[in-house]
Amino acid sequence: MSTPKLALVDLTKRYQPGLAPAVDHLNMEVEEGHLVALLGPSGCGKTTTLRMVAGLMDPTAGRIVVDGEDITSIPVHRRGMGMVFQSYALFPHMNVAANVAFGLRMRRLPKSERLERVRRALDMVQLGYLAERETKALSGGQQQRIALARALVVEPTLLLLDEPLSNLDAKLRESMRGEIRAIQQRTGATTLFVTHDQDEALDMADRIAVMNGGLIEQFGEPSEVYERPRTRFVAEFIGRANLLDATVVADRGPSGADERRYDVQVPGFGAVGAVGAPGLTGATRTMLVRPHRVQVHCDPGASGSPGTVESVSYTGDSVGYRVRVGDRAQLAEAPTDGRIAAPGDVVRLDWDPASAYLLPEEEER
Amino acid sequence: MSATTSIAVPRLPGADDLPPGHGVHEHRSRRRDRRTFWALAAPGLLGLAVTYLLPLLYMVRMAFNRGKPDGFIEQTFTLDTLIKPLTDSYYWKVTLDTFLMGLVVAAICVVISYPLALFLTRSTSRYKSLLIALAIAPLLTSAVVRTYGWMVILGGAGLVNSTLMHLGLVTVPLRLTNNMTGVVIGLVEIFMPYAILVMMSGFGRLDPRLEEAAASLGARPRAVFARITLPLTLPALLSAFLLIFVLSISSFITTNLLGGGAVHVLATEIYDQATGLLNWPFAAALSVILLVLFGVVIAIYQTVTRRLRLDA
Ligand SMILES: Nc1ncnc2c1ncn2[C@@H]1O[C@H](COP(=O)(O)OP(=O)(O)O)[C@@H](O)[C@H]1O
Ligand SMILES: [Mg+2]
Repeated sequence: MSTPKLALVDLTKRYQPGLAPAVDHLNMEVEEGHLVALLGPSGCGKTTTLRMVAGLMDPTAGRIVVDGEDITSIPVHRRGMGMVFQSYALFPHMNVAANVAFGLRMRRLPKSERLERVRRALDMVQLGYLAERETKALSGGQQQRIALARALVVEPTLLLLDEPLSNLDAKLRESMRGEIRAIQQRTGATTLFVTHDQDEALDMADRIAVMNGGLIEQFGEPSEVYERPRTRFVAEFIGRANLLDATVVADRGPSGADERRYDVQVPGFGAVGAVGAPGLTGATRTMLVRPHRVQVHCDPGASGSPGTVESVSYTGDSVGYRVRVGDRAQLAEAPTDGRIAAPGDVVRLDWDPASAYLLPEEEER
Repeated sequence: MSATTSIAVPRLPGADDLPPGHGVHEHRSRRRDRRTFWALAAPGLLGLAVTYLLPLLYMVRMAFNRGKPDGFIEQTFTLDTLIKPLTDSYYWKVTLDTFLMGLVVAAICVVISYPLALFLTRSTSRYKSLLIALAIAPLLTSAVVRTYGWMVILGGAGLVNSTLMHLGLVTVPLRLTNNMTGVVIGLVEIFMPYAILVMMSGFGRLDPRLEEAAASLGARPRAVFARITLPLTLPALLSAFLLIFVLSISSFITTNLLGGGAVHVLATEIYDQATGLLNWPFAAALSVILLVLFGVVIAIYQTVTRRLRLDA
């Protein structure tokens, strides 16, 4: 691989000596043009990481490398990053055009070029008609787009977004996702995007870094993080998950490139199939089955493990079940075209062995 | 009016402050809101009318009387008393000195207090509240006490002069009291807590994210200050300036004590006329001049803030 656009090397931030670090020896490489989501629960160190990359905060240890060059000690105003804050941080004493022009003014661009680039940036976010407006009078979505234009107009080395959608209402959030992604792809800006919303990360990102307690638990493509989580935490944080204790009984041959099919024994389900890394025979592992991969059979003669429906939630697109199997409840999500079971019904659950995944052994940390 | 009694932060009325509901389609609820407003405001307004408005009107009326040399007041309606100070160059000088003293004290006070207020607002130290308490602690002692303190410190054999002479920096003691220098030093120190309080309460618009956003867009620290910090704190800075100006030109105790009779401003002249010469009409006339001075400065303040579109 060529030099990454951004590399974080053992990046560490400790706010107070003696306290656990907010970011703990974090390593990550971001490819040019990618949108990387830093995803994790509140307090896991996402904002801290982003602020260190922006230069708004000094790391306690570690390095930040951009285009192969160590920028750790370069002050914020010479880093050329474009940052969008959660609160947008538009300058209240300047109108929209002056806000967008600010970075260009600081770069001492001639007026004609400045005006032209501000116009283009505002057109890009489709708010050219607001150029002369005061920022106070704008809606949240408009402020958001102005903040984006202000960051992008300077053609930043990196675009840094800290929970940019969390202050918008649900409908607008959906549409802004697509819009931000489209603008990011059009400009090719390498982007770090902080979010605690897994849907946002899956929808928008080229790569997702799942953070927990100051560490990256997994870094990979959205489908990889979703289908092949490295830890229980990742499996549960991204999407909904059934996690079952499985004892691997027998190896049944290769499955895909470097995985094997296994026979496993699961309490309540008996002998079932699953896939996982090679060499798991005899081991006990956590097995992941996503709810929408679980098939719910209402017909008593069907195959599968019997369970009792505890609750049913109908969303229109699908129907969600909580089914008690043995002493534990499992989640299932079924299409709405078949028969819909009612609470108390006995149903049978099974799944395609290829969609049950045995998680790797978790390292202690 | 004494400097020690008024702590009021100026919130000057303007067109923006008209009660809501000036549309053609007035709703009943709005009318009820307005009735509630008047009901709640009535006790305060009544109090103000009795303790402030009536004496003020009485004072203005007094300025149209004539003071007689024997200390008696001739009840009449004449412009002579008011015109007299305007035709006397001495009172023009006193007025000008009052105005300049107000400007200088307010300017120095605001310039010294601004960085302190900024620091205290931004501090994330756990001692922050202690620091703020320390900054305004001087308010716990009366201005009279502090003025006497300054007289001791600034006097011919005081702390400042004995130190300077000891170090051989001066041979003759500097004259730091009984003149305008002493008055300005005393007033600046006495009004600093007010300036700090007014500025800190007005720095609410200064979100640190704004300064960070500017820095990330390439602004050096100096540019961040000039283009973000200063413009956003200017309204609070101007309010503090106005407050200190008003307090200074109306201050009497400090001016009188540290001025030692050598500093003549409107406040000291009014006192002399009223209590020394018992010429109440003339004291009232000078007070009217002082009021006009207030009015002029407040008008300037409003124009400036309006012009800068800062009173948001
Ligand atoms: N200025 C600070 N001083 C001390 N601790 C902080 C500070 N900012 C954040 N923290 C702590 O560091 C951890 C990570 O915070 P943050 O990076 O803001 O998390 P996130 O953005 O993922 O919610 C949290 O436990 C938080 O309490
Ligand atoms: Mg955060």
